[in-house]
Amino acid sequence: MAESGRVPVLLRLCRGCRQFVRLNEEDCPFCGGDLDMLQADYDKRVADMRHAAAELREALARARLKGRDA
Amino acid sequence: MTEQRTEALPVRYAGLDDIVNRVPVSVVWEITLACDLACQHCGSRAGRRRRDELSTSEALDLVEQIAELGARDVGLIGGEAYLRKDWLEIVAAIRAAGMRCDLQTGGRNLSEERVARAAAAGLCGVGISIDGIGATHDGIRGVPGSFELALAALRRVQAHGLSSAVNTTINARSLPQLRELMDVIIDAGATNWQLAIMTAMGNAADHPELLLQPWQMLEVMPLLAELAVEGRKRGLFLQPASNVGYYGPYESIIRNVVNDEIYYHGCNAGDTVMGIEADGTIKSCPGLPSPYAGGNIRQTRLRDIWENADPLAFVRRRTIDDLWGFCRTCYYAETCMAGCTWTAHALMGRAGNNPMCYHRAREMDQKGLRERLVKVKDAGGKSFDYGEFEIVVETAAPGVLDRVSVHG
Repeated sequence: MAESGRVPVLLRLCRGCRQFVRLNEEDCPFCGGDLDMLQADYDKRVADMRHAAAELREALARARLKGRDA
Repeated sequence: MTEQRTEALPVRYAGLDDIVNRVPVSVVWEITLACDLACQHCGSRAGRRRRDELSTSEALDLVEQIAELGARDVGLIGGEAYLRKDWLEIVAAIRAAGMRCDLQTGGRNLSEERVARAAAAGLCGVGISIDGIGATHDGIRGVPGSFELALAALRRVQAHGLSSAVNTTINARSLPQLRELMDVIIDAGATNWQLAIMTAMGNAADHPELLLQPWQMLEVMPLLAELAVEGRKRGLFLQPASNVGYYGPYESIIRNVVNDEIYYHGCNAGDTVMGIEADGTIKSCPGLPSPYAGGNIRQTRLRDIWENADPLAFVRRRTIDDLWGFCRTCYYAETCMAGCTWTAHALMGRAGNNPMCYHRAREMDQKGLRERLVKVKDAGGKSFDYGEFEIVVETAAPGVLDRVSVHG
C-alpha cells in the first residue's frame, strides 16, 4: 500500500462547554475555561463517582450477606 | 476515534490501524438497481435494473476480492437487493468469506419466506428505511401502505433473530416527526437507528421542498442529542451518518460509541469505506456521482482500483487549500475537511464547502445571519446526478429575505 489513509487531526473535549477544541489550546476558545484544570476536575469527579459506586456495591453485598445469615 | 478496536465496537467501526492501512472496513454494495418503491429522495433513481449488472459468477468473484482487501462488513443495498434472484448466493458467499453481511431495505416485499431464507443463508442484520410516520413515509417512499409494510418487515426480521435497525433520512417532512418515530421503532423492537440528512442527489434534487435548510441544523443537533440520550436508556442506539454534524456541544453526545471523546474526523470515503454499483463500478462512497468512479472490476482487479485509482484518493490527498467558502477558514477545517463529500458535492457542485453544518449555522446565527439554499439548476435525470444550488445569506429573523450576499 503506497499511500496511507488520512490520519485524523486530533481534538480534545472541553469539559466546561463540551465543545471540541484543538490540542494546542490552553484555554477553550468557546467558553474561555482552563482546559487542563477543567479536565482535572472532571477526572476527579469521575474517580469520586466510581469510588462511591464501589462503596455502594460493597455495602449492598454486605447487607445481602447479613440478611442471609439472619 | 479510538486507537484500539474492542469487541464492544461494531465491526464497521474503523480504528487508526484501518485508516493507516486503508482497509475498506465497510463496503456498501448496490447489487441491483431494481426497486419496488419510488422514493422521492432516491440518489440512484432506482426502479429498473441496470442493463449491465454483474452476473452471478462476477458477483461471487467480487466477494472474494472484497475479502482479500480485509473488509469486515458488506452492506447490500439497491434498488432493492432482494429483487436480485441470486442475492442469497451473494449473502452466503460473503459470510463464507468471513465477513458480516447486512441488508439495507425499504422492506416492502421482505416476506416471511424471504427473511427465513436470508437468515438461513447467514444474513446478519437488516436495516429498514422508515422516513416518518404513516402518510409521511408513504408519500416520501411513493407507495401507499409502505410504512406499515416496513414496520411488519422490522418485526419479521426480529422474529428470525437477525439484528434490526432503522434508517431514517432527516428532511423537511420527517424532522418534526423524529421524536414520535423513535417511540414507534422502539415499540417495534429496533435497537439501532441510523439517521442521515437527505442529500440533494438524484430524485432528491428534484424535490428541493424536502431538503433541510442549513439553519435547521440548529434544530437537528440538539434534537438528535436529546433522542440519543433517551434512546440509549430505552435500548435504542442512535447512529448519525457522516453527513450529520458537526461539532458544537452536541457532537460528543450524538457520536458517543464507547465514550464521549469521539467526534467527527472527516470523510472516510476511499480510506475505510468503499461503494460498489451493480455494474461493477467502484467508488469510494456509494452515494458519490460518476466523477468519483475509480474503475470497473470487469476491466481491473478490485485491489488495483482500491490502491491506485486517483478518483478514490481525494480524502487522503485533500488539504485545507482544497476547501473554499466558509469551510476554508473554519476553526475545525483541519479535522473536518468540509464534512461529507457526498453532501457538499451534491449541493455545491464540488467538494470543499458544506453548508449543512451545525457549527457553521451557529457561527452565522451569532452574527444574526443564516444561510438558505436556492436551487438554480435542475438535475439531468440520471443516477447519482445533482442540480446546482446557491447559498443565500440572509438575516436570521424568520420570514425576512434581506439578501446580504449570494455565492455558490
